[in-house]
Amino acid sequence: MAIKIGEGPFNQRVEKGLNNPVMRGAVSSAQERFQQRKANAMEELGNWEEWRSLGEEIRQHTLEHLDFYLNQLSENVTKRGGHVFFAATAEDANHYIRDVVQSKNGKKVVKSKSMVTEEISLNSCLEKAGCEVIETDLGEYILQVDDHDPPSHIVAPALHKNKEQIRDVFKEKLNYTKSEMPEELALHARELLRKEFLSADIGITGCNFAVAESGSITLVTNEGNARLVTSLPKTQITVMGMERIVPTFEELDILVSLLTRSAVGQKLTSYVTALTRPRMEDEVDGPEEFHLVIIDNGRSSILGTDFQSVLQCIRCAACINVCPVYRHVGGHSYGSIYPGPIGAVLTPLLEGYEDHKELPYASTLCAACSEACPVKIPLHDLLHKHRQVIVEREGKAPVSEKLIMKAFGFGTSSSTLYQMGSKFAPMAMKPFVGENQSISKGPGPLKSWTDSRDFPAPDQERFRDWMKSRAKGGHMDENRYRS
Amino acid sequence: MKIGTVHNRDSFLENISSRLGRDTIETTVAQPQWSSSPQNRVLENATKEELITVLEKQCQVIHTDFVRVKQENKLLETLNQVIESYGGGPIITWDDPRFEQHGLSSLFERNDTSMWNPSIDDKNITLAEQANIGITFSDITLAESGTVVLFSGAKKATTVSLLPTNYIALIPVTSIVPRMTQATTIIHNKIQDGTVLSSCINFITGPSNSADIEMKLIVGVHGPIKTAYILF
Amino acid sequence: MKVTLFATCLVDMFQSNVGKATVELLERLGCEVEFPKGQICCGQPAYNSGYVKDAKQAIKHMINVFEPSEYIVTPSGSCATMFKEYPHALKDDPDWQQRAQGIADKTYELTQFIVQVLKCKDVGATLNGTATVHTSCHMTRLLGAKCEPFTLLSHVQGLEVVPLHKSQNCCGFGGTFSVKMGQISEQMVDEKVLHIEESNADFLIGADCGCLMNIKGRIDRKKRPVKVMHIAEVLNSH
Repeated sequence: MAIKIGEGPFNQRVEKGLNNPVMRGAVSSAQERFQQRKANAMEELGNWEEWRSLGEEIRQHTLEHLDFYLNQLSENVTKRGGHVFFAATAEDANHYIRDVVQSKNGKKVVKSKSMVTEEISLNSCLEKAGCEVIETDLGEYILQVDDHDPPSHIVAPALHKNKEQIRDVFKEKLNYTKSEMPEELALHARELLRKEFLSADIGITGCNFAVAESGSITLVTNEGNARLVTSLPKTQITVMGMERIVPTFEELDILVSLLTRSAVGQKLTSYVTALTRPRMEDEVDGPEEFHLVIIDNGRSSILGTDFQSVLQCIRCAACINVCPVYRHVGGHSYGSIYPGPIGAVLTPLLEGYEDHKELPYASTLCAACSEACPVKIPLHDLLHKHRQVIVEREGKAPVSEKLIMKAFGFGTSSSTLYQMGSKFAPMAMKPFVGENQSISKGPGPLKSWTDSRDFPAPDQERFRDWMKSRAKGGHMDENRYRS
Repeated sequence: MKIGTVHNRDSFLENISSRLGRDTIETTVAQPQWSSSPQNRVLENATKEELITVLEKQCQVIHTDFVRVKQENKLLETLNQVIESYGGGPIITWDDPRFEQHGLSSLFERNDTSMWNPSIDDKNITLAEQANIGITFSDITLAESGTVVLFSGAKKATTVSLLPTNYIALIPVTSIVPRMTQATTIIHNKIQDGTVLSSCINFITGPSNSADIEMKLIVGVHGPIKTAYILF
Repeated sequence: MKVTLFATCLVDMFQSNVGKATVELLERLGCEVEFPKGQICCGQPAYNSGYVKDAKQAIKHMINVFEPSEYIVTPSGSCATMFKEYPHALKDDPDWQQRAQGIADKTYELTQFIVQVLKCKDVGATLNGTATVHTSCHMTRLLGAKCEPFTLLSHVQGLEVVPLHKSQNCCGFGGTFSVKMGQISEQMVDEKVLHIEESNADFLIGADCGCLMNIKGRIDRKKRPVKVMHIAEVLNSH
């Protein structure tokens, strides 16, 4: 699976999403649960805004000195016996990982949840090389069992499915015989996956934050699968996006505190695990060999641009959980493994505008995302910036819209033109005005509005005309209707 | 220890440097001074008793049984009660002198208790996997989040707190600190002092759980299904 | 106190009643209201759609028009937010940016102006019935005017304000979003109208003409009995 998911143009995907009541019910109730849990956790922390500012400051500093910190990280990993591979592209990363797996004669790979390995399509590369790859995060596992259904949320990947659908998938694929109760479904997965953990040759994980000062990688999880992936197989490979790094454990504290509250409304998740090296002498669990793969895959081209702040992202999904557009269209509509506001900003940067030019417009710029972001990424500003690039640099805006906006620029360049336009509006719109002074079937671009809403007919007397006549009528000093 | 290999570093980092407007990879960065430190104010002036109250309350949130032993000579009795309530052995524990120090040696007189033993290698994993209960001490305990911090070692294996169906953490009152901040400061200082860091440091907050199905909380997924903290 | 009214293009062309109520209200509160006739649109439709260059023409024109003012007051949270955005929009041109900052600094959304500048909480209005309030996104999140409408409405005689479920969710207007992404916009406004109906309020009150036009458009289409009012009209009722 690469970044791009799904088929068909944006409008079709949205249509499909809007017509999927099961998904929409699951998403809206999940959003509510997420929001409630986050609100409680924030309240308990007190000065949330101060924490956010500190989080932003740490992320900005780290990005500004990313070369230094990645260098320090790699020194500390190798010093403690781990191997580091810097991968400029997805292909480089996949080939290195495949070679490591083959050199260990690895047949079975267990994975804990990792968006970056989705991004580089690691599973399909390893499967082509003859490996069995098993996703062990419950949500990812459900999707994998369901013929590789793509994720629709970066924290809860199977959010679009309800428990009945999951039960049916388990029945069909895993000889499941029990009910749709989440506890029973989870227990079935536990029993099946325990065997896989114990017999796997290779464990692959993502990385929430690497710690430069010690070469540690940290995993923030709830299910315990990442701990199993990193303690049972003899070889561990960790794949990280190059920006997922903090200077020291002291900054890790801040970012983990923000992440767990924002992502799942917990003070800490069940497991925050810091792994610092392969097992030492006399240690029986933990990997004998450790590889860290650090991935660029388009990220560096964002550095030094107006979009740099998107790399502050700690993948908590808080923006997704409050987005009113995501709420209705669901994750798959975005056509990217990174959905919601963060996805609408990030995807065109990593993959180009061609396939994703609608994403920056799939927002009302309501700024709920920016307000929710624990590291203060100005997401709605970045969506706006994308629109500017699409219009002014890429020239990808529709011609009809360009004409309207040119006319807007022209019309608003002088008040005379604006006044003429607005004065004749009632006359121009007259044929469309219904009995209750509203328009229910509008022409041109108005049609999309009037398909679902009435549009007001222009007032016969504009407000400015009222002001003018009021001034003339002596109600008001005429000078106050000034030019 | 063997030093690991590193590939493609220079070209990768030079590209980043140039994107950030530098000719070469930065060789030093002054330790940043952050403009605020709200983390230090959380439970800043709380007394030990107040921290214990916070911890106990948080245990309800994280679905963890909390038992406080007020007289140390009752620790064994309490531990045995919790073990029984979780259905008894098999049990696996760390090889940790604290068991003896706190009068828990009789735990190892049970024929269904095994202590992690590096000399039997992978058999430990099998024992842990088959164990009904794993027992460890907490090295640092975070009141705010209800977290036990475990530093791994040859005799303090990480899987003891992970593979068994149930997990019991023994928490010395002296190990309690307000929050993660104090633990990460300890770790940071160890690194600065050049102390060898554990291969694995676990911050464990209650039993494993998942909300991947309809955002409904399921307690007990891949890790322990039940967890108890015994404070003494 | 001398106040310069920025009426906004929606009020000028479609909702002149809101403009009239604003003028009468401000005058009743002792302000002298002036209306520079050179005023046009704030430029937001083009700006937010990515046509920043085209929008700049409107922005510069508006700066010229409003520069002499002491206080700029507008009955629209979103358009006030756009004025506050001017310095950022013109950041590449230091002279213009400075002038834009001057405009931004003296711009107030109507309820903000009444509460913060006029220091008035009770405008002496009366309206009988129950109302629920749509807190517009730009007004609350970007402009930061969260409490002012509620402060003023709590003093309106005869009016009971009831909460609106999921009030923080956008109504689906979003300027050109409402036509570019009409099908999504429809679902958003539908949910908003549903929550408004669930509140059982007689009135839906807002401080942003764009949102109100959107919500009213859907309410009218569905022939629901809720009356949509701009807050200026409410505060001018007696």
